[in-house]
Amino acid sequence: MNRSIFTNPYVLTAPAFLLAAFIILWPLFQIGEISLNDVNRFGQLRGFSGLDNFTAVLSDPQFLAACWRTVIWTVGIVAGTILISIPVALILNQDFYGRGIARVIIMLPWAVSLTMTAIVWRWALSGESGMLNSALRGLGLIDENIQWLAQSGTAFPVQIAIGILVSIPFTTTIFLGGLSSIPDDLYEAAQLEGANGWQTFAEITLPLLRPFINIAVVMNTISVFNSFPIIWATTQGGPANSTDILVTYLYKLGFNFGKLGEASALSLLMFALLLFFTVIYVRLAMRGDRA
Amino acid sequence: MSLHWLKVAALSSVAAFALASAASAQTVRVTVAEYSSKTGAYFEKAATEFEAANPGSDIQIEVVPWDVLQQKLTTDISGGANADLAIIGTRWLIDYVSQEVAAPLDDYITPEFKARFIDTFLSPSVMDGKTYGLPIAASARAMYYNKALFEQAGITAPPANWDEVKAAAEKIKALGGDSYGFGLQGKEIETDVYFYYAFWSQGGELIDADGTSGLDSEAAYKAAAIYKDLIDNGLTEPGVTSLNREDVQNLFKQGRIGMMITAPFLSNQIKEEAPDLQYGVTAIPAGPTGDRGTYGVTDSIILFENSENKEAAWKFLDYIFTTDKRAEFDENEGFLPVNAEESALPLFADNADLKEFTGLLPDARFAPVIPGWEEIAAVTSNALQKIYLGEGEIQPTLDAAAAEIDGIIAANK
Repeated sequence: MNRSIFTNPYVLTAPAFLLAAFIILWPLFQIGEISLNDVNRFGQLRGFSGLDNFTAVLSDPQFLAACWRTVIWTVGIVAGTILISIPVALILNQDFYGRGIARVIIMLPWAVSLTMTAIVWRWALSGESGMLNSALRGLGLIDENIQWLAQSGTAFPVQIAIGILVSIPFTTTIFLGGLSSIPDDLYEAAQLEGANGWQTFAEITLPLLRPFINIAVVMNTISVFNSFPIIWATTQGGPANSTDILVTYLYKLGFNFGKLGEASALSLLMFALLLFFTVIYVRLAMRGDRA
Repeated sequence: MSLHWLKVAALSSVAAFALASAASAQTVRVTVAEYSSKTGAYFEKAATEFEAANPGSDIQIEVVPWDVLQQKLTTDISGGANADLAIIGTRWLIDYVSQEVAAPLDDYITPEFKARFIDTFLSPSVMDGKTYGLPIAASARAMYYNKALFEQAGITAPPANWDEVKAAAEKIKALGGDSYGFGLQGKEIETDVYFYYAFWSQGGELIDADGTSGLDSEAAYKAAAIYKDLIDNGLTEPGVTSLNREDVQNLFKQGRIGMMITAPFLSNQIKEEAPDLQYGVTAIPAGPTGDRGTYGVTDSIILFENSENKEAAWKFLDYIFTTDKRAEFDENEGFLPVNAEESALPLFADNADLKEFTGLLPDARFAPVIPGWEEIAAVTSNALQKIYLGEGEIQPTLDAAAAEIDGIIAANK
């Protein structure tokens, strides 16, 4: 069959590819250029400096600490979100009175800007006049105010919890889509065979939901890894950098300290890290699908 | 480079556009920092008045919140899209001067113009004998105290030194209730500055004569010990590392803090938000030898080297630095007068709060003019937070911070 050039798949995808390349590759190229140069705080290049910026970042003890915290941050939020979103989606998939309202309530945090949510939480977590402390006191759970944001021991877990809370709506939506794609007759057949609730979930729902869980893991990892507002609005990575993750550390390097060269090097490293883990995960997940 | 032509094309079209618009009107773009909700309105009004008096001129005001000002200016400058005039923190000026982004103003400044200013405030904007900025905002620090709490606790006179601060805080603590003696800031911008008040009173210097950090000195250890002692005895608000300057000020406005050190603009806020609060302003507590230092801050308005309308921009600067315009601005924002004639106006001369601040000006110290100061301040704040939290012993923590600061100073030489 002779194809017209206009139906050639490469030609058809070319505009989208070029647009994506312009948006993604051009800045990447620029950042690469800056990271290999001595650069002043206004982004003007002052001459080639080789890998100096990279060695400066890698030899900074703050980098390793922030790296490790980013791992805890990302794994904590992604795992927590998935674990909570699956039962939430299962419940919302049932037919019950008021389901529409329940779905709206679950989705609402999504409609509020992340920065706004984070600022509201900063107020709620305030030790002296915060809502969380007064609620806990009202319930008789604590006698003394807890200074939530004063030390990383309480601040970081709370920040992860906020991260989970704001990731649930999107993840639940993915799972609801997944659940509606599972044909009902599978459940009917299982019921006829006498399978109990747990067996139906473990043998039918979970395996068929697998591809959707994979999507949720990859998408959440990418957005959580680079998530800036929650930590910045509540602690700015403090006290004493003890809640810094890579992206807040990057902001400080670039905009507070004006080290644009090191900041560019760090953002390239972050890009590579994220790409590496995403590719590995996708490959592992796909291999699982084929088996 | 393959993309070079693209950059050239983009830049030249921007330049052509700028030239075309410059020909039609004397456009001057001004980036101003948003000090309060009144800032934008003040500059818009000044622009309208100036345009009426100078037909053919067009002043465009861009209001930017403080938190993102440095980021916005950096981005604008690297893209060649900066305004003609901009307000910057004077402590950033050295970068702007060394990278030739700011233009010297000496060709425009007449002796008559220079005589308008109080010298203390103009001097931080002078580098290598050239004036690169004009002090648009000036501020110093003094100690606020809550008169009602003092009366209840039986404290008769505001404390003059750190021993008296501790004694007063103990009496306020003894009152019970949810009031705290000394408000200590331990988070975000100026956490380091709050420490310098005690540090300077012990005779410390931020940068020693040999050009290294002064944090590894007896004065620094003693100052940190004073604050740590207050924290450990429950004489400050709890969880100091979770309160920034505004948080402590809010507690003060609620009448829950006995003493705190901050800038004159708190008086304006109290007038509007807590008019019934009985408070007083006094000098920053002195050290054993009577040493005391307040923190002087100025923000400068600078003219960019790449401005196409320097003459018009200067005329606008000349206008906003007239006595009437300055008085209007400083009254709105609660800043100190920078203009000698202005400071003699009854509005400022008869203001009891402001007198305390201006009285401290001979002791005013400004942030050292060295590159990398923001990073040095961050290292200092981090060390202090560790000490306040009890995660580090005073002397080793400060010594380590001093070593790190020396490294930053050396790297920037």
